[in-house]
Amino acid sequence: MPALHTEGVTAGYGKTPIITDISVDAEVGRVTTIIGPNGAGKSTFAKALVGILKPMAGRILVNDVDVTRMPGHEIPRHGLAYVPQNDNVFKRMSVRENLEIGGFVHKGDSSARIAELFEIFPDLGKAHTKKAGLLSGGQQNLLAIARALMAKPSVIVLDEPTAGLSPAYTSVVWEQVARIATLNTAVVVVEQNVERALKHSDYVHIFVAGRDHVHGTAADISQLDLPSIFLGRSHAASTT
Amino acid sequence: MTYYIFTLVFFLFDYFILAMGLNIQYGITGILNFAYIGFVAVGAYVTGVAAMPANTVGQHYILGLGLPFPFNLLLGGFAAMGLSVLIALITLRRLRTDYLAIVLVSLSLVFYDFCNNYVSLFNGADGLYNVPEPFAKTLGLGSNNFIVFFACLTGVVSLIMWFVMSRVMRAPLGRTFRAVRDDAVTAAALGKNTFWMQMKAMMIGSFFAGIGGGLLIQFGGSFNPTAWLPAETFVVFAVLIVGGAGNNIGMFVGALLVETLLIHLPAFLPEIPGHPGLIEYIDTVIVGVVLMVMLWFRPQGIVPARLRKTASFGVDERLDEEAGELDRTTALAGVGTRAEATR
Repeated sequence: MPALHTEGVTAGYGKTPIITDISVDAEVGRVTTIIGPNGAGKSTFAKALVGILKPMAGRILVNDVDVTRMPGHEIPRHGLAYVPQNDNVFKRMSVRENLEIGGFVHKGDSSARIAELFEIFPDLGKAHTKKAGLLSGGQQNLLAIARALMAKPSVIVLDEPTAGLSPAYTSVVWEQVARIATLNTAVVVVEQNVERALKHSDYVHIFVAGRDHVHGTAADISQLDLPSIFLGRSHAASTT
Repeated sequence: MTYYIFTLVFFLFDYFILAMGLNIQYGITGILNFAYIGFVAVGAYVTGVAAMPANTVGQHYILGLGLPFPFNLLLGGFAAMGLSVLIALITLRRLRTDYLAIVLVSLSLVFYDFCNNYVSLFNGADGLYNVPEPFAKTLGLGSNNFIVFFACLTGVVSLIMWFVMSRVMRAPLGRTFRAVRDDAVTAAALGKNTFWMQMKAMMIGSFFAGIGGGLLIQFGGSFNPTAWLPAETFVVFAVLIVGGAGNNIGMFVGALLVETLLIHLPAFLPEIPGHPGLIEYIDTVIVGVVLMVMLWFRPQGIVPARLRKTASFGVDERLDEEAGELDRTTALAGVGTRAEATR
């Protein structure tokens, strides 16, 4: 059973659907990436997963629990964590406070979990008393990811975690993303950078114009004529 | 001289309480409550009518319970809290930032006109007067002695409220309030019910407003609509900004500088020959100038918010220089309160 299972999800703003009939599975230990051109509906899908947008149709299951109609703030309790794109840390709070606030799901002292995460993200450990807003963009993204991991989620959704980062820091973030998957977590990444996505992902979905245009293993997707798909010239069938 | 000094002392402590209430709403949770003075007024009126007898010649009002202090004061605080629940249910679900502020200031104006014109509620434009002075008869206090006594009593009340507020701000609840302020969407993604958190902040802050208002009417013995013109909200905002949003000690410093020294002290200074009333009315201009200077040169306030002590690392690091730069950015660009609007 996949940790995250969506069936025919249609969602959008107001009455206008942006994504239509999207079905995605994400399994523990695997990085599932959603790529596609601008306006394809990748972030809209991420927002629908975490309850910011309510789907017009379809179902979203986290660990076999239907969270489709659940208020957004209740979904994390069922094991789904979300890292928004940009402005994703509490800038006026310290690094440590950011992490503490992510550990709310489990009552009690969060120090042990924070210490574990400082081992995974040593940069954050060094800066634990700093205001989060004073970290670099890449460090902020890592902090947002670490904060999401505080609750030991079974699914983590990352919305463009490398947006606006230098190539060097992009590599650091992707290495951490791959590492997170080994921590008994299903990772779903919404990404613009196709090359990086294919390099670090296990499974890839390509969204075009609000639809799941093609999906398959990263190796299979690499064989396709991606420029044509992105430019809307190809109608490749699913590789699965 | 005693009268002057203890009047200033009273306003210092009373505005300390009021500023702490606004601080939990705006400084900590980011709710731009431009109707704050309305909650102060509710606290004042309800405290007054709860203390007054059922019938007073020449005055029309509700309740008239004849309750002794501090029960009438607590009733005033809870009445302001109750109003905040109603206002929050109307406004907080769908409105944020500037739009919330506009609706709140509008509601404040509606409430002001309602109280001013509906005489049966709180005696209309004349307001309440001859409100019984707490403990004055029991202790046999004359008017000057009462002022000294009540200023000291207000000091004790403000210390208790400061203790309570400090506990709230250090608790996980206070941290969640700050998370909601910085980014409501991200806080919700971490499982926080942002509406309920904002509601709690409104309730706590409004209780403080109600208590502050209640103390005002008990001190002066009267309260009418000229005491809570909607612009008075911005005096409390000035206290908060000058003192340092997010820090209770800053609220005390702000109350001392803005409310006590800039607004009330000049009223006791001698007139400038040939310019009667000038000193009394120039205070607003001075407060405005001070506010602009603070926002430009020290937006984090005189006593900036501190990073919370971290238990396991035992660190209490203050990053004034860097934090000031960050606060300047957030104050000028609206980062944090408007983060979600950009999504």
